Amino acid sequence: MKRDLNNLFNEHHLRNGELNTRRIFLKNAGLSLGAIALGSMFPGCSSEINNGSIKNLNPLVPKSPHFAAKAKSVIYIHMAGAPSQFELFEYKPILNKLHGQDCPPSLLNDKKFAFIRGVPKMLGGQSLFEKVGQSGTLISDNLPHFKNVVDEVSFLRGMHTDQFNHAPAQMMMHTGSPQQGRPSIGSWATYGLGSENQNLPGFVVLTSGGVNPDAGKPVWGSGFLPSVYQGVQCRSKGDPVLYLGNPECTSRDMRKLSIDAINDINKLTYEEFHDPETVSRISQYEMAYRMQISVPEVMSISDEPQYIHEMYGTKVGKECFANNVLLARKLVEKGVRFVQLFDWGWDTHGTSKNTALEVGLINKCRETDKPVAALILDLKQRGLLDETLIIWGGEFGRTPMAENRNGVEQMFHGRDHHPDAFTMWMAGGGIKKGFSHGETDEIGYAAVKGRQSINDLHATILNQLGFDHEHFTHDFQGRPFRLTDVGGTVIKDIIA
Amino acid sequence: MQNFHFLIVGFKKSIFRFLFVLIAILICISCSFDSKIDYNTQVKPILNKKCISCHGGVKQNGDFSLMTQELAFKPAKSGNLAIIPGDAKNSELIKRINHHDPEERMPQEAAPLLKEEIKILTKWIDQGADWGIHWAYRPLVSDAKPTVTTMGFSASSKSMLPQDKIDFYVKSKLDELGLIPNKEAEKSELLRRVSLDLIGMPSPKSLKDKFLNSKNPIPFEELVDSLMNLQSFGEKWATMWLDIARYADSKGFERDPSRNIWPYRDYVIKAFNNDKPYDEFVIEQMAGDLLENPTDEQYIATGFHRNTTTNDEGGTDNEEYRVKAVMDRVSTTWEGLMGTTMACVQCHGHPYDPFPHETYYESFAFFNNTRDADTYMDYPILRFFDVKSQEKLDSLKNWMEMVGGKEKAAETELFLKTIQPVIYSIEVDQMVNADLYDTKYLGLRKNGSARIPNVNLRDHANFTMTSKTSSDAGIISLRIDSLTGTEIGKINLANTNRRYKLVEIPIQHNGGLHDIFLYYTNSKMKDSNNMGIQIDWFQLAGKFLGEEDKNYNLNKKRYEDLLLAPLEHTLIMIENPIDQQRKSFVFDRGNWLVHDEEVNAQVPEIFSPIPKNQGENRLAFAKWMVNKENPLTSRTFVNRIWEQLFGKGIVETVEDLGSQGEFPTHLELLDYLSWNWMNNQNWSIKSLIKSIVLSSTYRQSAIISELALEKDPYNKYLSRGPRVRLSGEQIRDQSLNISGLLSTKMYGPPVMPYQPENIWQTPYSNEAWTISSGEDQHRRAVYTMIKRSAVYPSMETFDMPLRQVCTARRIRTNTPLQALVTLNDPVYVEASEHLASRMQKEGGSTIAEQINFAYQLAMNKNISPEKSKILESLYYQTLQELKISNPNNEIESQQIALANVANSIINLDEMLNN
Repeated sequence: MKRDLNNLFNEHHLRNGELNTRRIFLKNAGLSLGAIALGSMFPGCSSEINNGSIKNLNPLVPKSPHFAAKAKSVIYIHMAGAPSQFELFEYKPILNKLHGQDCPPSLLNDKKFAFIRGVPKMLGGQSLFEKVGQSGTLISDNLPHFKNVVDEVSFLRGMHTDQFNHAPAQMMMHTGSPQQGRPSIGSWATYGLGSENQNLPGFVVLTSGGVNPDAGKPVWGSGFLPSVYQGVQCRSKGDPVLYLGNPECTSRDMRKLSIDAINDINKLTYEEFHDPETVSRISQYEMAYRMQISVPEVMSISDEPQYIHEMYGTKVGKECFANNVLLARKLVEKGVRFVQLFDWGWDTHGTSKNTALEVGLINKCRETDKPVAALILDLKQRGLLDETLIIWGGEFGRTPMAENRNGVEQMFHGRDHHPDAFTMWMAGGGIKKGFSHGETDEIGYAAVKGRQSINDLHATILNQLGFDHEHFTHDFQGRPFRLTDVGGTVIKDIIA
Repeated sequence: MQNFHFLIVGFKKSIFRFLFVLIAILICISCSFDSKIDYNTQVKPILNKKCISCHGGVKQNGDFSLMTQELAFKPAKSGNLAIIPGDAKNSELIKRINHHDPEERMPQEAAPLLKEEIKILTKWIDQGADWGIHWAYRPLVSDAKPTVTTMGFSASSKSMLPQDKIDFYVKSKLDELGLIPNKEAEKSELLRRVSLDLIGMPSPKSLKDKFLNSKNPIPFEELVDSLMNLQSFGEKWATMWLDIARYADSKGFERDPSRNIWPYRDYVIKAFNNDKPYDEFVIEQMAGDLLENPTDEQYIATGFHRNTTTNDEGGTDNEEYRVKAVMDRVSTTWEGLMGTTMACVQCHGHPYDPFPHETYYESFAFFNNTRDADTYMDYPILRFFDVKSQEKLDSLKNWMEMVGGKEKAAETELFLKTIQPVIYSIEVDQMVNADLYDTKYLGLRKNGSARIPNVNLRDHANFTMTSKTSSDAGIISLRIDSLTGTEIGKINLANTNRRYKLVEIPIQHNGGLHDIFLYYTNSKMKDSNNMGIQIDWFQLAGKFLGEEDKNYNLNKKRYEDLLLAPLEHTLIMIENPIDQQRKSFVFDRGNWLVHDEEVNAQVPEIFSPIPKNQGENRLAFAKWMVNKENPLTSRTFVNRIWEQLFGKGIVETVEDLGSQGEFPTHLELLDYLSWNWMNNQNWSIKSLIKSIVLSSTYRQSAIISELALEKDPYNKYLSRGPRVRLSGEQIRDQSLNISGLLSTKMYGPPVMPYQPENIWQTPYSNEAWTISSGEDQHRRAVYTMIKRSAVYPSMETFDMPLRQVCTARRIRTNTPLQALVTLNDPVYVEASEHLASRMQKEGGSTIAEQINFAYQLAMNKNISPEKSKILESLYYQTLQELKISNPNNEIESQQIALANVANSIINLDEMLNN
């Protein structure tokens, strides 16, 4: 089933049709423009006739995918910096035995590492593991809460990428290309599906860890898609959405007065020029007015019951990962299509305490383990887990060798960037429960089974959202572009 | 004036009637005879859509490809001929698209071709299968005659002014479609449109008065000339070009540090203001460094292609990012300047257009020999000497001329200005007890060594380097061809206290091409894990001149000081010297690590080649781009200017004039303008813009009629004047302008106007957004600091691109976030407050007068009573509101209420559109 919603440059044909509908509607329905604008103000409760004609004006109107979707929304948790699989999910007794020995040349020949030079030492796992859940999955003691939800997730243990620097690897992970200029996965999702809630952005980004991901905002950019599909960063400090709050001396009532005045005049302008964009603008000003209420409402966690705060480990009024996870739940509950979380600080090179496997990594786990487990349980208890796809992972993996930056041994235990093997997991949204796909060799250097590329991951995510990734394209520069470029196979093994 | 519309109206009615009859006859003729099938408009679209995915530049199933005539006419794998010109019945292609067996029928596993399509292909083959050249690759010829020339029109069309020709072509199309052009816009509307288009904001009051309010108003043409002569013209038009140039003030990756390349931005502004002919403009930007004795300006122009991103992230492969930058230059040059999407040819032959895989790398080869190498310092740079260092330089030059002659002095000056050619320390390999620290510079530890490969020693007497140390017992020894090879030089290093110093090592050798091994040792160093010396670059040079002169030491010191002085600089291109030339290869599937065959720099075969005597370098390529035989450069730029003025190009896909892009709505017009621009207007951008804005087409009112909404909803055929949402830059500039806040200061380092906190949350970076002081807060948008990882958010909301790659065309959106910007961004709140106080001071005594004053400032006309009433009532209702919240301060309340009105005016749809 091939759909033609993808071609922006052909979109004008579509819009042409819409225009005519609207024009005819304007003519035939004999309604004033005000009534139309009103119709767009309350998308849920407007009359059927004008609903049809106005809804189409909005690029974020809900659209149906290629086939029935398993997941309605996505929460993508990206641990920026790349967490070490060896201290979280990958138990490798042989590697532990080899600890401290020189890395064999066969693993180093023709290999490029970001920081390892010469011959590094093998580095055994720096944490204890326990077999948990009915699935009997080995999970590190660094993730005590995650142990309780392990039967809800599918692991991808044989992930690999071709980028070993953070910025390009993050671009690869979120846009399918290490170079800049491509749309992010959240942009693709909202482009294809629109948003269920017209009072909130369809693609929301929340960051924690003090800084943005290494690749910067392009990682949630819309690339060559219209900018209406780019992620909207919601912030815990200042306005939750930029410029959302009225200036100090402008009350809500004053804002209402001015938006009414602006729109009244714009209606006169429409009568003068008959420019359909003016009609859009009228409804966008109304939506802005509604967002001023709906966004702060959804972005506030203070109304959540105490048990929820305890469950997630949130800190009201602080900027932290736990708060963002709870917000993510609230957002998908409200119909936001794609919530992207970035947590910065997982780059465990071992060059300082903060980046040491024995200190920094454990701290990051303490900040994130509880809320992530809570998210799964909370969505489950609300009956939302089935329709919400959760993805967890970094931009690449870490080496089974100890880092020896500049050829010198480190003060702490750390691992270098490793694109050849890493672990991600997915849950909810039609993904198998308590399942593991893929396997690495006995020292975790490379995948030996179920080796999956980022294109495969993207194909799978799109599949759960109801898209055939090969046919979900957008024409740009004279050719159809896909999130998966020229690759990608759906990982059927993990689909329930 | 008011009634002047289309040229055609100027013709006698009888001519009009005559024309009508002729058209009618023509239509009849085309119905009764078998008309000639046009390959470009009729055949190629079918092939592209239905056939080429399996029989094109990527896949050639059954050894059959429709990419070129040659391929399409040769026997396929089966031995059959797919196309036999003149004989459709026996052509395999026709047989297969008609085949009754679904297994055999083409296209496979897809719906059969439509009857109409089969008819076209059959007729086309029967007519001889003329393999037309795609319109954009056809050369531009003087005689771009309208299709109606046979109707006795050509004589008069030839003597027409360009603006009349525009109208002629546009009107012809409108007639064809049964559309009626609009009347000329009201003078006020026209003034607003042309001011926003030419200078990016409302016109200065004096001009406005001369055009609108004078008893003896200046003609429209004079208004256009005056606007084009304002400095703000360049500031407006630069933005369009900076999108193509992906200009930004930061490097782009991870910590995304700031980069000094604003002199390039200023170059662009000046070029537009000085009406630098486009051919010169292109040559300077592509290859200014290769011109004879390049001026500073010509060097600065090469910043165009230094706007590529560089990656400072630790552990990056510098060569990988250098190659990426070169690839970006190829794509940007083709897409931005020649409307051709080459990016797909990186990995395979172009699927639709006549560009085989190797073409990309043949273009790549032109750009593959520049000195930039993803270095931390963004070398090569052009340094600007401040007054003090200029004095020093002058003294040094005078002395050098005396002891070594003019040529030597000039050579030294150029080296001090560009620090080229040198060998970057990151170019070493075979490191032992040494490393490229953070992949930014070479660091050697105790007994550390590294190799500089392939150095031509010639008769150089010195090996110099810039390096820093923190102890005084280090020794550097230089050996050739192996670590144990002959020592050609050695030096005891001084402690530089972690500051870069110039180190000069005299060398003895017999010349020739050698590897140089550096060996560092230090008897006092205890911890062998510490770095002993850090090196930035090496240079092989002759002896410093004038050793016998009494002022030798003084001048040598001057030289060193100048070389190490932290000077203002900008990024430029410099070509590799002969000793450091790189070879270029085809990359297998675009992978830079997998080299296929070696290629030479050359232009695609479909175009006329670079003349033999011009060489194969960037300069030759640049000259080829603006050679009048090049069919793409002029078409692309003319189409872009059209897009800027009408909101839509004659070819809507400004970035792609290829066969997969949109077909031009007015091909003859595009061709005429493109040819005329090169030949009669001599590449003058101002002349081109002027002839378009003088046309009646441009001057139409923007009102959309019922008819137009039905037949031409997107104004593709220009039955009305353009009505386009302003860019983020224009919206900001306009608001600051009418509020009286806008600074007229031009040029210089980027500024930081108000921006919300925590936008720059870049990892590993201490750089912060520090709000500029004084008038720098209110400069024109083009001077705003552009950090790639976090572009100025209010402009980004209005679709400003992130400037990471070439953006040939902005796509406009209409979102609620935009409303929030102009309502609540403190920049607009401040502008509203200032506008309100202007209204109070200058607007008159009544609220209605004050409202009219503000409206007038931007709209050049009185506000209608209906609209005024709405704003007046907004004012009084706001006052009413404030009585409750702010009962004691009436004056303040009035100001707030008026600011609320001013802000509403700034937010009006009419204000956000041109």
